[in-house]
Amino acid sequence: MSTAAPATPTTGSFRGLSDARLVGRQVWYEQLSFWLNPLGAIFTLGFSTIFLVLLGALGGNSKTGSGYGAAKLAQYYLGGFVAYAIMAACFTVLAQTLVNRREMGLLKRLRLSPVPTWSLLSAIFLSTMIIALLQVGILLAVGTLGFNDHLPPHGVAFILAIVVGMFSFTALGVGVSTLVPNADASGPMVSIVFFLLLAFSGLYFPIKPGTTLATVSGYFPVRHLITAVLASFNLPPGSNPWAWNDLGVMAIWGAAGVFIALRRWQWAPRRK
Amino acid sequence: MPAVSVRHLAKSYGDKHAVRDVSFDVEKGEVFALLGPNGAGKTTTIEILEGFRDRSGGEVETLGVDPSSRNTQRWLRTRIGVVLQELAVEPYYSVRQVLSRNAGYYPSPRPVAEVIELIGLKEKADERVKTLSGGQQRRLDVGLGIIGNPELLFLDEPTTGLDPSGRRDTWDLIRQLTSLGTTVMLTTHYMDEVEALADRVAVLNNAEIVAAGTPTSIGGRDSSEVTIRFLLPDGATLSDLPVTADSLDQGLVQIRTRDELRLLHELTGWALEHDLALTGLSVVRVTLEDVYLHLTRDATESSEKAVK
Repeated sequence: MSTAAPATPTTGSFRGLSDARLVGRQVWYEQLSFWLNPLGAIFTLGFSTIFLVLLGALGGNSKTGSGYGAAKLAQYYLGGFVAYAIMAACFTVLAQTLVNRREMGLLKRLRLSPVPTWSLLSAIFLSTMIIALLQVGILLAVGTLGFNDHLPPHGVAFILAIVVGMFSFTALGVGVSTLVPNADASGPMVSIVFFLLLAFSGLYFPIKPGTTLATVSGYFPVRHLITAVLASFNLPPGSNPWAWNDLGVMAIWGAAGVFIALRRWQWAPRRK
Repeated sequence: MPAVSVRHLAKSYGDKHAVRDVSFDVEKGEVFALLGPNGAGKTTTIEILEGFRDRSGGEVETLGVDPSSRNTQRWLRTRIGVVLQELAVEPYYSVRQVLSRNAGYYPSPRPVAEVIELIGLKEKADERVKTLSGGQQRRLDVGLGIIGNPELLFLDEPTTGLDPSGRRDTWDLIRQLTSLGTTVMLTTHYMDEVEALADRVAVLNNAEIVAAGTPTSIGGRDSSEVTIRFLLPDGATLSDLPVTADSLDQGLVQIRTRDELRLLHELTGWALEHDLALTGLSVVRVTLEDVYLHLTRDATESSEKAVK
């Protein structure tokens, strides 16, 4: 039944759930959507763990070398894949999700609902971060239980690196999503950029500081998240756990992502 | 106060006019249809009325407020429902879950069970969206448009892609909504949809309204010629008829007139008097599609001439 129309407002009055509760509710539905696709959820969560297990099993007890001294390679991989998990969830998955939703018209539909824009986007970002943190938790469990790795001795520095990494790569994910023209291109475009950067940023093998590769990869944020997380694990041994330089570079890249997103963000499909 | 009031609406992108000097009102409780070829400006007009897109000029009021005003935009969105041209439903939720989620966005939504019943998906309520047929997904899309219990519903080509029975079901649903007082603004390419649903219609072409009126009167349809056809009775010739007629193939006779009442009276009187049958007698007024094609073709030709 239609209800009687309220008087025309002069301000943005709204009698419904409070905005904060709307965010919480929306996060719940985002999570529901993620878990209702179990295959996708398992692959998203399991990819980093499978890599950690494979690489750790192949040579995890070797010394890392390349400036990391006698540190066990499995420990290096744990730090590296924690960084990878954050980047994969907050950058790759988020960018592809946003492109797909935009092109399906889902973002447009949400935009036309009475829910404020900030709460919709916050819910998507928070849900992504929950998935990233879940992966981090699984990796820490597998590393400590499976390979006798130690947890980061500098817990606050570890959390700071993760938080800055999540914000930076979320911003970059949103920014990159605005550059992808359609849903078909989102997978290849985002993945190629991501895996190329990963390949020469020291995820699969340590990069000796001061080399050309270290210098080149230092211009990009991927290497900085890896080194910031590794520093909180005391890698290389004796390093400063507070990787301010790495955090600063990530913040700059994050700001660039925000800048691009603000300039190019679009709720409606691009195909039209 | 009309539900929608549009005066001299304009929207342009650089030199290109998407909408130009468009004016119309939509009264509360009526179904108003916007017709026009692809790219004529229908979706742009609707998006401006929804507050999704800003206008370049003119005055617009939706439910008494300026849809572009940030102060009232959120209020407005609690009172309108939107069914987009794109099929926009997440694949992994069940029908009930996606409707429940969207119901939570509104201060006084329709009960989810009622909407499921209205859109005819009771049997599929707990099925995943991705398992529904295209037509069922489209109906769910309409359900999402009405879950907020809107006063004004925008339907952008709501039956595109539906099979004939799905289209009829959607029409019934729209009729039900209007009987409850919902105002509907509709864009479509289907003329039968306009005739079945719309109280009034406007035709957009090349970013401008070229005609407006009721489906039965638009473009002078109600005063246009009527075509009467029948098979010439055995033994009769054209000259025997009491009226002037043209001969078509296979004994078919055609008469065009604006005075169909008098002419039919004479014709049937003559047939009765001579005990003759007028087999296949039909009286056809110009169709809405004829009018639409005439309006859009004429407007396109005149604008092309103006350019030359």
